[in-house]
Parts: sequence; C-alpha cells; structure tokens
Amino acid sequence: MKKTLVAAAALTAVTGTAALAHYGMIIPSDSMVSQEDGRSVELTLSFSHPFELDGMVLETPVSFNVTHEGETSDLLGDLQAATVMDEPGFMLDYPLDRPGTYVFAMEPQPYWEPVEDSFIIHYTKTYVSAFGDDEGWDAELGLRTEIVPMSKPFGLWDGNVFQGVVKLEGAPVPNAEVEVEYYNEDGSATAPSELMITQTVKADENGVFTYAAPSSGWWGFAALNTADETMEFEGEAKAVELGAVIWVHFEDWTGE
Amino acid sequence: MKTGLTAFVMIWWATVSVAHQLLVFAFVEDGTVIVETKFSTGKIPVSGDVRVLDAQNAVLMTLELQSDGTVQFPLDPALSAQGLLIEVATGEGHDNYWILTPDDIARATKETQ
Repeated sequence: MKKTLVAAAALTAVTGTAALAHYGMIIPSDSMVSQEDGRSVELTLSFSHPFELDGMVLETPVSFNVTHEGETSDLLGDLQAATVMDEPGFMLDYPLDRPGTYVFAMEPQPYWEPVEDSFIIHYTKTYVSAFGDDEGWDAELGLRTEIVPMSKPFGLWDGNVFQGVVKLEGAPVPNAEVEVEYYNEDGSATAPSELMITQTVKADENGVFTYAAPSSGWWGFAALNTADETMEFEGEAKAVELGAVIWVHFEDWTGE
Repeated sequence: MKTGLTAFVMIWWATVSVAHQLLVFAFVEDGTVIVETKFSTGKIPVSGDVRVLDAQNAVLMTLELQSDGTVQFPLDPALSAQGLLIEVATGEGHDNYWILTPDDIARATKETQ
C-alpha cells in the first residue's frame, strides 16, 4: 500500500511537469492579411504552456524584430506591455506598408528552469503574408537556431503537413527532436493522454521533419538542442537549452 | 464615406474575386499614385490595361501598364477623396485590383507633409 502511494506520488510529480512544454509565442491576429483586412497586424508575445493555457512571465526580450524583403528592423522599443494568459507579455500593432512576407522574431532572455536544472532560450518566430504576396515565405533569418520552412508557413489546410529544417549555428541538425503543441486558445481541446499534449517528431539525417496538423489553429514547433556553453546559476555552471520555435497557422478545410 | 467604399468594393469583389494570379499594389508618394504589379510566380507582366475608378464606380482614367509592370499617375485630391479602385488586366484570368482607401491616401499625404 505504502509503495503504491509513493509510486503514485512520484508519477504525479513526473506527469505534472513532463506534459508542460515551454513555448515562446508570437501569435499574429492573422497569418494572411488581405487588403480587405486592413493595413496592420496585431502581434501578441508570450511565454507559456500553450495547450494548457498556462502562462508564464515573459521578460522584456533581448530582441524583437521583423524581416521583410531581406531587411531587418528592430521593433523592441515599440512593444507594449500586455497580459497574456494572466501573465506579463507584450503586444504590438504593426503597420504593413507593402506586400510580401513579414517574419517576426524574438530572442527572449534566458529563463531559468529549476525543474530541468538548466536555462532555456527559445528563439521564436512566425511568418505573416501581406496582401496576397507570399514572397519571402521560406526566409532564413540566420538565428542561432531556427526552423527554416520547407512548407509555406501559412495558407495550410488542416490535415496538411508542415515541413521544416532544423538548424543550429547555421547547419542542419540530423535527427533533431521537435516538440509540437497546439495553442488551445479557446480551451476546447482535451488530450486523452498527457503524451498528446506535446507530441514529438524526429528529423531525418538532413534535419528535415514533417508533421500533419489534425485541426485548424496555431501550432507551435520547437526543436530543442543543448548549447555548447553553460551559464552560471548560483555559482554553478548550468546547461542551456536552445529552442528553435516557429508558429504556424492551419486553416479550416472548407469543402464537404 | 467608408460605408460607400465598402459597398462599392463588395459589388466589385463579387464579380472579380475569381482572378488571383496577378498581384496588384498601389501607394501614394509625393502626390503620385504608383501602381506595382507582378504574377504570383514573381514574374513581372510586360503589358496590361489599367483602369482607375472612383467610389461611385466611375472610370476616371485608363492607362497602359509599363514594361516594368508599373504605372504612375498624379493624385487628384478632389477625385480621390473617397478612395480609388485600381484595376489591372493583363490577359485572360490575369486581372486583379488594389483599393487605395481614404485612410491610405490621408496617411501618405501626412507622411509627405
């Protein structure tokens, strides 16, 4: 009996933390802004467990910028403080001056995760198409780690696959592990097993991974690797997890 | 004013929204309307017909697309007060439009002041 209780308590502790994958998030109001939609896109930046809608504090990022037609602009100073999932985050209404793909990217401050005894830095990005022009949809930003899209990262039907290459320090990562999680925005999705809150796929020898989304909405892909360097916490050298995160929107299939 | 333009757009949209391969964009710079076009493949159309309409669907002018896929014309503040619809047709099924809204025009005018 005693053994059962101990085991149950241990299991609860494990599942209570294992199901919670951390995600940096940049969620635009629209991934494909048409001229009828207006001339701007609203961006919401946060740090959370997106399936459980469990928010965490997003400190002021190290950087936040946009890349369009090969030119990168700093937007850090334009961010407005906001509350996202009951925790501090940021928002920005960004004017879209021209057609094409806008890539928004954030480097957060290192987050100390005591449960994992390591720091976490999730380089997070998302792609927004403006006015029907998708040029630049496969742009590689040259982030320290990133997922470079092989499928257009917008305009996907639910059930389509999303494919990307995991890169670290500019090189593909063979067999990289990629966590996938749904932004359960209205809380309607439930998981029959905690294993299905965060799903995992592995990349092939060229760092290419594939995932088919079962429903429309925002899906986050996070490729996790460990940095060569360490960071100090209370006098001890700790590992640093580098995450390449991309948020991709899938659309409702409109056919019968 | 905005409602009128919206209704105007909806009527137009209902008849022309099937065309999709040509991308049209227009903006105002220093009192000039600049129209840019390209195909979704990235190629530039070398010729085409451009019609400029006001919010009452009256044709204000017709122009020829230049060989670089652009065309320009001076902005007439009086005729464009309620916005402009710029239609470009480059061939069968290859037509599209851009709406310069009153806000677009006001913003561009403010930026150059």
